[in-house]
Amino acid sequence: MLKRDSAGTDGGLPENTSLEESSDFTVLLSGTELKQSESSSSLGSDCSSASQIQTSQNEEVMTDGWRSRRKHVFVLSEAGKPIYSRHGSEEALSSVMGVMMALVSFVQVGGNTIQSIYSGHTIVFMQKGPLVLVSASKSRQSELQLRSELLHVYHQIVSMLTQASINRIFQRRKNYDLRRLLFGSEKVIDGLLDVMESEAGFLLSAVQCLPLASSSRDVLNQVLQKAVTPNLVLSLLVTKGQLLSIVQEKMVIEDARLKPSDLHLLLNLIRASTSFQTGEIWTPVCLPRFNPDCYFYTYVAYLDPPECSVCLVLLSTDKEAFYAAAECKRKIEEGVRNNSVLQSISKAQPCQVRHVGVAELRHFLYMPFDVPDHYGQLPQFTPEVEAPYATGEERVRLMDLYRHLHSRIHSSSRPLKLLYHSTQRETLLAWPQVTGKFEMYACFSPLVNKSLAIGAVTKLLRWIKKEEDCLFICSPPKYST
Amino acid sequence: MLMISPRMASGTQEKQYTPSLLSFFIYNPKFGPREGEEEKKILFYHPIEVEKNEKIRNVGLCEAIVQFTRTFCPTKPAKSLHTQKNRQFFHEPEENFWMVMVVRNPMIEKPSKDGKPPTVEYQEEEILDSVYGAVLQQCYSMYKLFNGTFGRSFEAGGVELLIQKLEKFFYRYLQTLHLQSCDLLDVFGGISFFPLDKMTYLKIQSFVNRVEESLSLVKYTAFLYNDQLIWSGLEQDDMRILYKYLTTSLFPRHTEPELAGRDSPLRPEVAGNLLHYGRFLTGPANLKDPEAKFRFPRIFVNTEDSYEELHLIVYKAMSAAVCFMINASVELTREFCEQLDALVGPQLTLLASDICEQYNINRRISGPEKEPQFKFIYFNHMNLAEKSTIHMRKTASVSLTSVHPDLMKILGDINSDFARVDEDEEIIVKAMTDYWVVGKKSDQRELYVILNQKNANLIEVNEEVKRLCATQFNNIFFLD
Repeated sequence: MLKRDSAGTDGGLPENTSLEESSDFTVLLSGTELKQSESSSSLGSDCSSASQIQTSQNEEVMTDGWRSRRKHVFVLSEAGKPIYSRHGSEEALSSVMGVMMALVSFVQVGGNTIQSIYSGHTIVFMQKGPLVLVSASKSRQSELQLRSELLHVYHQIVSMLTQASINRIFQRRKNYDLRRLLFGSEKVIDGLLDVMESEAGFLLSAVQCLPLASSSRDVLNQVLQKAVTPNLVLSLLVTKGQLLSIVQEKMVIEDARLKPSDLHLLLNLIRASTSFQTGEIWTPVCLPRFNPDCYFYTYVAYLDPPECSVCLVLLSTDKEAFYAAAECKRKIEEGVRNNSVLQSISKAQPCQVRHVGVAELRHFLYMPFDVPDHYGQLPQFTPEVEAPYATGEERVRLMDLYRHLHSRIHSSSRPLKLLYHSTQRETLLAWPQVTGKFEMYACFSPLVNKSLAIGAVTKLLRWIKKEEDCLFICSPPKYST
Repeated sequence: MLMISPRMASGTQEKQYTPSLLSFFIYNPKFGPREGEEEKKILFYHPIEVEKNEKIRNVGLCEAIVQFTRTFCPTKPAKSLHTQKNRQFFHEPEENFWMVMVVRNPMIEKPSKDGKPPTVEYQEEEILDSVYGAVLQQCYSMYKLFNGTFGRSFEAGGVELLIQKLEKFFYRYLQTLHLQSCDLLDVFGGISFFPLDKMTYLKIQSFVNRVEESLSLVKYTAFLYNDQLIWSGLEQDDMRILYKYLTTSLFPRHTEPELAGRDSPLRPEVAGNLLHYGRFLTGPANLKDPEAKFRFPRIFVNTEDSYEELHLIVYKAMSAAVCFMINASVELTREFCEQLDALVGPQLTLLASDICEQYNINRRISGPEKEPQFKFIYFNHMNLAEKSTIHMRKTASVSLTSVHPDLMKILGDINSDFARVDEDEEIIVKAMTDYWVVGKKSDQRELYVILNQKNANLIEVNEEVKRLCATQFNNIFFLD
């Protein structure tokens, strides 16, 4: 990965990606921390600040403070060697990790597979290839969801190293210390775990779009469509963590399909490394669901220094395509400037519940399904969370409620068509995609009765139908060549 | 995600295996703390044929898991371990004494073609932790009812006595576990109360008072009719386990002699006693025979404080059964039994027919007994009262439900959700089969209603449940 200023002076392109020999990738990744500016307000609003992460790594283990943490995540190798721990240094936890590995092996010997342990925590085990991932959570999430989070952690690691590399490394040396390759990227995983707590995108396997007038979005689409180069697979524009426009190569859409989780991981990786304002990034990234064994090459730059709120990402299969990508960026910048679209973007508000105009409704999640078949992504729409869920804690609590609803209605053995849950603090409704058209979750004040709730939902659906052109990206454009 | 019964899914012969007991063991790590002494920790192990080293390994795994969970929270150790093939439940009823029950997950065996071995699909989600965790706890409660605490046995006669008691009790008790039919009612461990009018209730109360006065040895009394409780002088927790014993073990073993055929050995000897239909269910089976030996079962109650050991006398006349509990230190002689028989027999017989008559009158007033309109389960945490119109006749081995087992599991899920918070809540779900399930929790009471109204919407369902609550649960549940 290389950091360049806009003058484009020559430097070295990324070295070869045989990571066993060099730790270039991660060294470069950690190198970006050096240029962190004070007001780094760019994409990272959801990510904990670097200083918090530092404390977490140095945290004392086995103390009351450590034990009171909501969720622990551990990654270790089959040989029991520690690789990562969310809270506390993984080195200090190596004996605990040894125990985890022993439990896994013991059950395996009996021809069985350990899945989870329930105590005051839910402790979930997952083995992926030579890695073992464990989550110990007080969040009372379902086992399936905790396992899905671990899978995301695994995929984030794959996005940095590729699955083929990981397997190869451990095949040659069972005792390899993977930290050598991941050094400095713990914060990527930390960031991922933070985002998963407070965002609904992972739960729903969907991405969030910034509501934008369809005319503006069309302009952006066209600009991206025209700025192509051979081997370019994907172009996307992101702002404030939300998608503005995404244009893909024809075969990607039709055959391979970019999955929302890959997009999340990509955005997370970028979030963790782009704490700078000016300059461009050129970095190898693996998209695990798309193809876990090879790298794409990602070009990342901001279109609007110094605010740095609109981020351009170009994905190419060509390692040498940096200059071509930079050229695309220049064209895109020009196109965007010519159409004064940047202003409409900066004015665009992430939608808020009060826009819907239904008094009892506090929050909702809505995911449409009636998009053309070839569209891989599932847009999801989450309004800004406002009072009484505006604080970090309340936001996580709200997500916990949604997560619980999700696990009940999508249970593998007894799924549900509808779930209505009324408590002292709020009333919740979950309505999965049985009709095939959408899936939605709604949160009301606890004082609603059922008629009010149903009425509110009806009004909400009507509003969404009216606004859907600017809320969602309904048909993703392809490159024009 | 359709819920197709596995049997329908493929044309070939599929075998559905229900959950079953794989193993059950009790251990105390303090009994064998040093290396080489591991076997000493094991106080009971079923199945007994398992090789010694494997027993030690399995116990070792449990210890490791408990220790491991203490890493995260020292005060809340492991409750269950989920693996692909089975589930282990942990319970520490007394300090350092651990009970572990291993249940094999339900599975479907699908035959493969070409003589290959059949594929097995494990259905982990079908087992609810809350249900089987409760079953394990009940194992301890039942053991303690008849044997007292582990600690006391150990104090009285060391490890040997404890091992002996455990072996004797669990060898038989485990055979009575029917894991395939455990459900929400096991979580409640409730008591079914017999509905009575005030007059009859007072008659029973005064009967109990009279008997307790005449037979001063009697410490506690309990009165049941038709397998349902009317009155109890015992603490709730003791009564609930005694009730389970009576209704699932003792009563089913003794069918009514009046109903027995002419040649049945149950028919009482005609000679003499035509004054009443009373007889002992525990103790002397035949008072006429002076040589016959008898003894009453011993039970232990109030183990938390006064720790009392009592004789359990269960005396029955027609459908009414009374339990008299007397301090175990007293020797109960034949004379005493005859005295009790003479005193209680006639009165209880009369009372039983009174109750029957009153019950029939009430039923006539309230209307013919048609199929109960609503399928529901009700439980009150405060007095342990439970009522289910879903469960049909509970026999010793199985309690049949009139709804699909998946719906019972949904009830179990709702119950788990209720248990997460200590506040009034309501949960309404529509299952894939279009059945509606409504769960209400209000002030320590829980109500679950199953409605077979495929085309109803949320508001209509709400109205239906309101109607049910108005007739049966007036003023109990807050409704909107």
